[in-house]
Amino acid sequence: MTKSLLSLFQLCDSNFPTGAFSHSYGMETYIQEDKIFDQYTFLQWLTVYVNEQLVYSDGLACRIVYEALKDGRQAQIWEMDRLLTVQNLPRESREGTKRIGEGMLKLVQSLYDIPLLATYTEKIRNKEAYGHPAIVFTIVGHHLGVSSESTILYYLYSVVSSLVQNAVRAIPLGQTAGQQVIQQFQDTLLDATEKIKTIDPDDFGIVSPGLELAQMQHERVGIRIFMS
Amino acid sequence: MVQMTGELQLKLEEKKGRTIAKDAYFQGALKVMRPIYLDDSGQVCYYILNPGGGYLDGDRYKMQFALEKQARATITTQSSTKVYKTPNDHAYQEAEIIIKDGSYLEYLPDPLIAYRDAKYKQKNVFRMDRTSALLYSDIITPGWCPEGKHFSYESVQLINEMYMDEELVVYDHLKLTPSKQELHGLGYMEGYTHLGSMFIIGEKVDNSLIDRLYEAIYENTDDYKVGLSKLPIPGVTIRIVANSTQLLEQLFSKCHLLITEEWFETKPSFLRKY
Repeated sequence: MTKSLLSLFQLCDSNFPTGAFSHSYGMETYIQEDKIFDQYTFLQWLTVYVNEQLVYSDGLACRIVYEALKDGRQAQIWEMDRLLTVQNLPRESREGTKRIGEGMLKLVQSLYDIPLLATYTEKIRNKEAYGHPAIVFTIVGHHLGVSSESTILYYLYSVVSSLVQNAVRAIPLGQTAGQQVIQQFQDTLLDATEKIKTIDPDDFGIVSPGLELAQMQHERVGIRIFMS
Repeated sequence: MVQMTGELQLKLEEKKGRTIAKDAYFQGALKVMRPIYLDDSGQVCYYILNPGGGYLDGDRYKMQFALEKQARATITTQSSTKVYKTPNDHAYQEAEIIIKDGSYLEYLPDPLIAYRDAKYKQKNVFRMDRTSALLYSDIITPGWCPEGKHFSYESVQLINEMYMDEELVVYDHLKLTPSKQELHGLGYMEGYTHLGSMFIIGEKVDNSLIDRLYEAIYENTDDYKVGLSKLPIPGVTIRIVANSTQLLEQLFSKCHLLITEEWFETKPSFLRKY
């Protein structure tokens, strides 16, 4: 493993304190409805979440932002920041993602001196940008010289590892079951990364109805341990 | 330039308490019927119709509705949008909806019915400002095929872009491709067949109104599932999955009633179509 991969891997750790541990992106709605109740049903939801929402939003955004960084097209980064936010119609997921983005931005600035991160912070302060973890992550990956493909894969992994930890607490699953999901999910993550490389940019923001509905319903879920 | 199958432009203005057409233009396979005033509010109602009866292979439709100062209108269709099989090229409809300066639009097209092997894409671009208001709904049915099988169409893609003072504030993108997705399953249609969406945008949409909308349509039932959420602008989006168009229309009517009673102290008129 090269040093730069190791550095980026630090951001993927589910202990990396960005606040992702308090968001389930609708998973908790399914848990309350007894539709997610074990390792198998969780894996089913996770597969749909990654393939029918994450790849078209965060995943595709990683690719586009990476290309923009390579070509020095900064305006496109801020455009993706807006698109990522406004395509996220469920309020809790939108606001939660923004909070995670801001948290991650602050933390990585204490680790790396990247001028673009300061610009991003400034733009958020001036309400010219929202803040999104996929963009912060991609800026760091690009800065470290990690390839676009690995940056995308690691980002997806970071999202999945947090969700698995959340599922372990909420369903609950045993720690072993959680690790089995992460292992079983490796091929899905590699396939998703391949898919992101070929998605037409016009397909940005596609979301499957049930996932989104559950994210909206979460606002009215009675007993909750997650903020989304 | 692309040859349009049908084109329609409608510019509406308010004059002496009534909304009238300042400019109306249509050609090809899109037509607008003469304006109807369903009550004495001055709000005008237009029915759009497709004389061809349905959308065919490679069809291109373009519409523009522009509401000027204080104009109030309901725009609907005369019947459902049917998209027949498109063996070579998808059917496409684009609409630009401009609502500014205190104007109010109810854009309530009938359900979409995509036939076997149909491919359809629709894009609505809404341009609003802080003083205008919008009520929009759409319903996607599981389509139609001779054997009665659900979801036999190739793909249905709906995009809603909303701009507030030239800034993109909502990007709603839905694409159903039955052959590539387990549409009945978890995360997709959750075992239901029909999907309805409604957007209510306007300064008066606040948390308390959203709560009242929720109370008006929520039920602890397996007949349908509803979710609603506040947008980044004053506005709300409502999504419902159910098993019939009628049920979705009933639920949306309740929202429509609540909005018109609160905002205009009127009741929505029944849109007579048949």
